[in-house]
Amino acid sequence: MFLALKEIARAKTRFGLLVAAIGLLVFLILFQQSLQNGLITGFVGAIRNQNAPVLVYSVDGQRVIQGSIIPPDLEAELQTVDGIGEVGRIGQGTFTGLPSRSSETFDTTIIGYELGPDGQGLGAPIELAGGRYPTQDLEVVASTGGDFEFAVGDTIVLQPGGFTVDVVGIADDIQLNVAPTLFASYDTWSNAVQSVNPDAGEPLPNVIAVAPADGVSDVEVVGAINARSLDFDALTRADAASETPGVAQVQQSFQLIFLLYGLVVPCVTGLFFLIVTFQKANALTLLRAIGAPAGRLVWSLLIQVVLMIGGGLILGTALYYPLSQSRLGGISLRFETGAVIFWSVLLLVLGVASSLVAARRVLRIDPIEATTGAGVGV
Amino acid sequence: MNALELSDVRKIYTMGDGSDVVALDHASLTVADDEIVALVGPSGSGKTTLCSIAGGILSPTEGRIVVAGEDISDYGDKQLTAFRQQSIGFVFQSVNLVPFLNAKENLTVVDELGKRTGKVAQQRADQLLEELGLADRKKNLPSQLSGGQRQRVAIGRALMNDPKLVLFDEPTSALDTELGEQVMELIRMEMKRRGTSAIVVTHDERITQFCDRSVHIIDGHLAA
Repeated sequence: MFLALKEIARAKTRFGLLVAAIGLLVFLILFQQSLQNGLITGFVGAIRNQNAPVLVYSVDGQRVIQGSIIPPDLEAELQTVDGIGEVGRIGQGTFTGLPSRSSETFDTTIIGYELGPDGQGLGAPIELAGGRYPTQDLEVVASTGGDFEFAVGDTIVLQPGGFTVDVVGIADDIQLNVAPTLFASYDTWSNAVQSVNPDAGEPLPNVIAVAPADGVSDVEVVGAINARSLDFDALTRADAASETPGVAQVQQSFQLIFLLYGLVVPCVTGLFFLIVTFQKANALTLLRAIGAPAGRLVWSLLIQVVLMIGGGLILGTALYYPLSQSRLGGISLRFETGAVIFWSVLLLVLGVASSLVAARRVLRIDPIEATTGAGVGV
Repeated sequence: MNALELSDVRKIYTMGDGSDVVALDHASLTVADDEIVALVGPSGSGKTTLCSIAGGILSPTEGRIVVAGEDISDYGDKQLTAFRQQSIGFVFQSVNLVPFLNAKENLTVVDELGKRTGKVAQQRADQLLEELGLADRKKNLPSQLSGGQRQRVAIGRALMNDPKLVLFDEPTSALDTELGEQVMELIRMEMKRRGTSAIVVTHDERITQFCDRSVHIIDGHLAA
């Protein structure tokens, strides 16, 4: 500890620069982790955070809610599948709305579901951040975040029908396609669709929400539905979210970036300490000659590695925190405690591992070199 | 008790081409308690090898080494490291101080490497620096000290563990004649004051006047 701390104290700039470099990389990692999660939640939060355990698309819909249409005969056949407990229709569309607190219109996604007696029918948001569930037509639960911050009590005039919906509740992370999203009754959605195209008649549901019967698992009912007809594409809630087109590609892109960062941090740390070890080879040789056990010198090196990475993690997290409280366009960022812990542990382990090359150099020091003036590796 | 007894010590290096080079050939040397011995010889004669073996930096190929009654002939690396830390003082020719430690810390680091005594070591370092005329320089880094001052700090470090034997490897080679003599006077004074034995490796005959006796070494053979 003595040697490790003294050396850091005497070379503040050198070690400070390393902490700054690691801190910057940690900040970028954490920020992009938040960006990834915010982006995916903005895309499919409405699917992930609605209460139906299973969603049934038509195969032609290619796992896009709006692209899926469930015709009556398919809906009727679904009702006869073994293991199904409860079903409910879900419809989705994008409309233009004019909120009461603004003079500008905006595009909003409406998800219609069958409310049930308490507004928590299949397809309702799992949890509200404020207000209550809708119990009748023209009442909606609105998403938080996004371009327009809804509040309970707001009203929105939907175009072109011109009917007004009341925001009676708000919920976090229920956006779809990074747009302000309203959860309304199925009939409210249906009326909104018909107002856009009155001649098209009553719209068909896009997907069917399913709850398995008692004693039947989600996966079992998904298997039973898909086995019944090739026209069905049933997915569990989690799969429906993760297999929405684009989500996997976004995750893969970010994972590649994380992998690169995950390699850069230990490389920077490992190279830094390897260079420092070469630079102070004479001092290390002298210490070995006067009786310093090699293990003590390696321990000193590892203490420095942990302190530098620890400092970088603190700095990076401190930079990340204020940014994680903000919003980027329609994407809400969030402080990801789990990500901070995961990356802290991973970078510490990788950093220590990368410094083992320098540690090996230290272990190879022969004290006889103190009598010749040669240092390690020279 | 003698400070050092070398009996029939041989050191053979095997070169890259498989040939053997005898650096030390049946060398026997005794250094009495409180004695300062000059080990004189030309470059490549084996004097640094002998000094390194006596100090536990190098293991002999054959022979027996006893330092203040402790037989280190068969010690392994870990035992030799502990032996150097506890029983030997070193002043090397070129690499002598840790650059990121100040003068006092270059002394207390000896304590940090062994069983820490804390305050006792701090007081001892202060006392040694005072005796070596460096009391006002104890917070200076090696780069802020002159060559003579650096060598005095190295002497202080060599005495920090109260060694049984101090080994000086060409301690004045980097100094001019006047400064070299001053350093040698200081070495003699400090060794005699403490009753500590020393071997001073040198190729400079003028250094021998500061020692109790001289031993010459040529091609690995000792001659009184």
